[in-house]
Amino acid sequence: MSTEPEAREAAEVMARYCRGDAAAFHRLYALLAPRILAYLTGLLGDRAAAEDALQLTFLKVHEARSSYVLGANPIPWIYTIAHRTCLDEIRKRKRSRVRLGKGDEPTAEPAAHITGVAADVHPDPADQPDPSAAAGALAALAKLPDNQRQALILTKVHGRSIADAAMITGSTPGAIKQRAHRAYVTLRQILGRKELA
Amino acid sequence: MSGGNDFDDRVLGEATGVGAPPPPAPSGDLLRAVDGMKPVRTRSRFGAAAAVALAGLVGPVIALARGPFRRDWPGLPVGWVIAAVMLWGVAFAASLVAALVPRRGDVLPAPSRASRVAAVAMAGLAVFALFATVDVPGLSMQPAERGWSLFDSCVHCIGTVAKVAVVFLVVGFVALRRLVPVGGARVGMALGAGAGAMGGLLLVFICPFASAAHVVLSHVGGMVLASIAGALLLPAIARSRTATATAITLALLALVLVGQ
Repeated sequence: MSTEPEAREAAEVMARYCRGDAAAFHRLYALLAPRILAYLTGLLGDRAAAEDALQLTFLKVHEARSSYVLGANPIPWIYTIAHRTCLDEIRKRKRSRVRLGKGDEPTAEPAAHITGVAADVHPDPADQPDPSAAAGALAALAKLPDNQRQALILTKVHGRSIADAAMITGSTPGAIKQRAHRAYVTLRQILGRKELA
Repeated sequence: MSGGNDFDDRVLGEATGVGAPPPPAPSGDLLRAVDGMKPVRTRSRFGAAAAVALAGLVGPVIALARGPFRRDWPGLPVGWVIAAVMLWGVAFAASLVAALVPRRGDVLPAPSRASRVAAVAMAGLAVFALFATVDVPGLSMQPAERGWSLFDSCVHCIGTVAKVAVVFLVVGFVALRRLVPVGGARVGMALGAGAGAMGGLLLVFICPFASAAHVVLSHVGGMVLASIAGALLLPAIARSRTATATAITLALLALVLVGQ
C-alpha cells in the first residue's frame, strides 16, 4: 500500500539510484521487491515464474532509469514495468503451448495451479496446503479473466488507487472500477459468500 | 466497499503472496548491471513534448512563411479566425501534452487521460467544423473551380495534414519508445491527434476550400487518420527491438513526403 511517506522515500531512493548509488538500488529492491513479487505471483499463478519476472522487472527498471522523472513516485512506474513483463511472459506461455513436438503432436506446456504446483505432481499430503480460505481464494482467482484478476489484485490486495491501477494496466479508471467490481462479485459467488452492500 | 470485504481482502492478500516468503536476492545479472552502473541523466517532464513540438513545428512555420495564404483570407471574420486558430491550437497543445507529459508526481504519461483528451479534441473540432465553418462569398473557393471533386479536394488536404503529422509522429515515437510499457494505443492516439491538429491548424491559414463537408472530412478527418496511425503504430514501435530502425524508416518517409 502506497502512502505519502513511502512514495517520498521511494522517490528519494530512486533519485540516488539514478545518481549511481548502488546502495540505493538495494534499498529500492528491499522496499518494492516483496510487493512486486506478490503482484506477479497473483497474475502468473506460479511463484517460480514470478521470481524470474521479478528479476527481469528490476533489470528493465535499471535499463530504463534514465526515463525516470526526478521527484516522481516510482512505485506505479515499477508496477507498470512489472505488469508489462508479466503480459510478455503470459504471451510467451501461450505461444509455447501451441508449439508442435517431433511427431507433430502438440506439446502442451506443463499445467500448473495458481499455487505454482504442477498439476500432474502429487506431493506428499503433508506438504499440501490446508484447505483454507486462502486456498479457496486462490482457486477462485484462477477462474477470473486476466483483466479482472489484474484489477482486483491491484486495487484490493495491493491497495493501489483506481487511477494508479489504470496507469499500471494502461486502461481507464472506469474500466478498472468495473473489472474490480465484477471480479469481486464473481469471487464472492465462487466462494459462496453473500455480497455485502 | 468495507466491513465484510476486509475479510476477503485479507484472504486475497494471503492467496496472492502478500506475507509470503521473502523475495529472492537480486540475480547475478542484475547485480553485475548495478555494480557497473554510472550516473544517468534523468528525464524532465516537459523535455519530450518540447522536442517533439520544436521538430514538428519547423514544417508548418516554413509553409506559413512561404505562403500563400488562402484566397479568402482578407474576407474572413476576425473573430472566426481567432476562434479557429485557438481551437486547433488548443487541440494540438492539449493532445501533445496528454501524450508526452506525465502528470506531476508520475513518471509516465497517463494512457486514459491521453485518449480522453484526444477524443474530446477531435469531437470538439468536428462540431466546430460542422457548424461554424465560414465561407466568404466570391472569395472562398469551391473544388469545382479547380476541376476537382470534393473527394479530390479532401485527398489534397489530407495529404497536407499527413505531411505535417508524420514529422510529429516520427519524433514522438522516438521520444516515447521506452515510455509506454502499457497503453501505447491510447498514448499514440493522442500523439496522432496532436500531430493532425497541427496539420489542421496550418490548413486554417492555407486551405482555400471553405465548405463544412470539406473541412470535416479532410481537416478533422486528417486528424482522425493521424490519430489512428498513432494508435496503431506506437504500440508496435514501443515494443519493437528494432525501434530505431523503424523510426528511421518513418523519418525517411517523412522526408520524402515533405519534399513532394
